[in-house]
Amino acid sequence: MLKNIGLIIDKYHLEKKVREFLSYMRKVCELSIYVEENYLVNFNDVNFDEDLFFIKGKGDGIINFAKSLERDTDIPVINSSKGIWLAYNRFLNSTLLKRAGIRVPNFSLNPKEDAPPFKDFIIKNVRDQDNYAFDPKIETNTSTVEVKDNRALEEVYGKNAQYSFFYYQEYIESKFEYKIYGVGEELFYYKQKPILRDPDKMKSREKIKPILELGEIAYKVMELFDLQITSLDFLKSEDDNYYLTDVNSTPNFNYLENGPQTIANYLLAKAKR
Amino acid sequence: MKIGVLSKRETGLTDKMRSFYKEKGHEVTIYTTKNLAVNSSLFENDFYILKSKQLLFLYAGYFLYKNNISVIPDPIISYTYKHRIESYYSIRKCGLNTPKIYMGTSKSIRKKLRESDYPLLIKPLMGSGSKGIKFIKSSGDLDSEKNKILYCEKLIEGTHYLAYFIDEQICVGEKKPFANEHADIKLIKPEEDIKHALMIWREKYNLLFGHLDMIRESSTNKLIVVDPGTFPEFSNWQNSNSIVPTICNLILKRYYDKREMNE
Repeated sequence: MLKNIGLIIDKYHLEKKVREFLSYMRKVCELSIYVEENYLVNFNDVNFDEDLFFIKGKGDGIINFAKSLERDTDIPVINSSKGIWLAYNRFLNSTLLKRAGIRVPNFSLNPKEDAPPFKDFIIKNVRDQDNYAFDPKIETNTSTVEVKDNRALEEVYGKNAQYSFFYYQEYIESKFEYKIYGVGEELFYYKQKPILRDPDKMKSREKIKPILELGEIAYKVMELFDLQITSLDFLKSEDDNYYLTDVNSTPNFNYLENGPQTIANYLLAKAKR
Repeated sequence: MKIGVLSKRETGLTDKMRSFYKEKGHEVTIYTTKNLAVNSSLFENDFYILKSKQLLFLYAGYFLYKNNISVIPDPIISYTYKHRIESYYSIRKCGLNTPKIYMGTSKSIRKKLRESDYPLLIKPLMGSGSKGIKFIKSSGDLDSEKNKILYCEKLIEGTHYLAYFIDEQICVGEKKPFANEHADIKLIKPEEDIKHALMIWREKYNLLFGHLDMIRESSTNKLIVVDPGTFPEFSNWQNSNSIVPTICNLILKRYYDKREMNE
């Protein structure tokens, strides 16, 4: 009998990111799809027959649906609500990573009126929960680099301003950005030009040999955040130190060689029966 | 002792606590959204009081807690009570009754709920008290904003209570539905189930003080907990000035106990 897998997803990911994955999954399991925008989460009645739920998205409806499954059933949920929540909460995850001894760029939350706490900095959105891409405004001169993500400015100065403070990350100059995908125990290593130098990240992306140090960090982060599928971004400073700059709980697995199949097979192996 | 207070305002109970601690020889700094930078500059204080649950203060509390600086009340519990879903599970974990809750878009609510499931209350997911609540009498009142995910609760009809506790003392009053903490209440002698709910809540989460908003449902006479809080203003506590030393001393004692445990 085929395994029964539930996919909890938002419209954006359903329409743009999972075509190949769905077509493979339909061949190898019974697939039920729960779309965030169409599904009502009823916390008072949590009964499902699925052998596993796969979460593709990070909206509030999705995360709290996952939470209800974790609290009220014994069905495995990948990724966990905690992992997704930590991954998009930049300040919380930087705090946690630093305390766990993982090198992250210096960071700070400051009132919007304050002078920036670092000479070279990136202002990032406080919570990276929406499906919009990084949209940088770059100002450089001979002595400083200032990068401001328009999404972050919108959160503070926009029509529906939510915050009165900015999340600053110290800017790390790096020739390449290193991207590690983690699917359970399997890690996949790539590098590309940093997005600030070349917005078309796929143009320069190349597969690289495993870097032991980054692999160890990836396993540690996955355990710490309770993430089973992830992608991590690193920068390498001029003094050859790697800095973890982003943790993603909904990586685009289409960029991996046989990505959709790799993910699907992993999920099937983790299913209840 | 150097004490930091994370508070949205410098007035009210925050100001009274500052005066009390200063009289006792402590140094007090109040951090509001105007002067709070969350970074290692905060390590200069011995401990922090988390008076407000706005996101910035919760972030500060989490940052301090992860860096082994005491924060009272516990910032994880404060976050939990501010988040409606987490708070629902916290109430349930104590064996107390909660309202029925749902999350979805207007479209999915309309499609899946029957008219008998109404009226509903739409509330901000991160929030407490009556701020930002919208009353939905029937499906026709739902906005057509298609893709916005809404948190909603089944409206409970009945008598509303504001129930404070400070250590083992309690103070309970009847209040108007959806009135905030500062609106007048009619003090009552609480029934046993209200006292019991306060007691198990306080013990389960090891709280020094706090409050629960509860409703006695008219149709079933059940007591339903709708909103918890970690640090109210206690503005309806009888003779509210008298509680300042009690609260401040409880906080100090908790700090000393934690410090002793860590040594």
